[in-house]
Amino acid sequence: MTTTSLDELGPVDYIVVEFPAGASNFTGEMAAALVELVEAGTIRVIDVLILTKAEDGSVEAAELSDVGELGELQALEAQLAELLAEDDIVHLAAAMEPGSVAGVLIWENLWAAPFASAARRSGGQLIASGRIPIQAIIASIEADELVTEGV
Amino acid sequence: MPLRAARVGRVGVIGAPVARTAVVAAAVTPGPSPVAKTAVVAAAVTPGRRRRRI
Repeated sequence: MTTTSLDELGPVDYIVVEFPAGASNFTGEMAAALVELVEAGTIRVIDVLILTKAEDGSVEAAELSDVGELGELQALEAQLAELLAEDDIVHLAAAMEPGSVAGVLIWENLWAAPFASAARRSGGQLIASGRIPIQAIIASIEADELVTEGV
Repeated sequence: MPLRAARVGRVGVIGAPVARTAVVAAAVTPGPSPVAKTAVVAAAVTPGRRRRRI
């Protein structure tokens, strides 16, 4: 990867979405929502894996192409970079409950790339980033309300 | 299913085992109490709602 392309790379995130045993209900809605984000230029999908964790804790990984009918995801599959390595699968599966299936999604935030690039050109450097859990927002609001009520 | 050859023997990008995060589905699933919580969160990210105290 060249310096130029690195400079234009948006931040890369991942999620692991777990489907507890018997709870999955794949209607194609998730795929449609994902394709919409890609087509809008909001994100670029870098990698997708489907992990299955058996009751004994063993993990099996399937590629998106191993899924029989890809539907709308067909176009995405051809562009995957296969970023995740074998070690990553073990690390990601550590969060899963035995008996569950999970989808792993790695994506680049294309929307953030122009801003990040502009910040770098302006001499700025990223010194922190993160995600604020919804629970933390709820806790903050509730604490505020307690102060307001004088409790 | 075997992994693709490209994934084997490479240095990974996820440095350590990933900790399970708290499941937030209950807070955003429609229903009497969770709906109220969703409204609270929505209010928290609405412009001008709070003033920072530093």
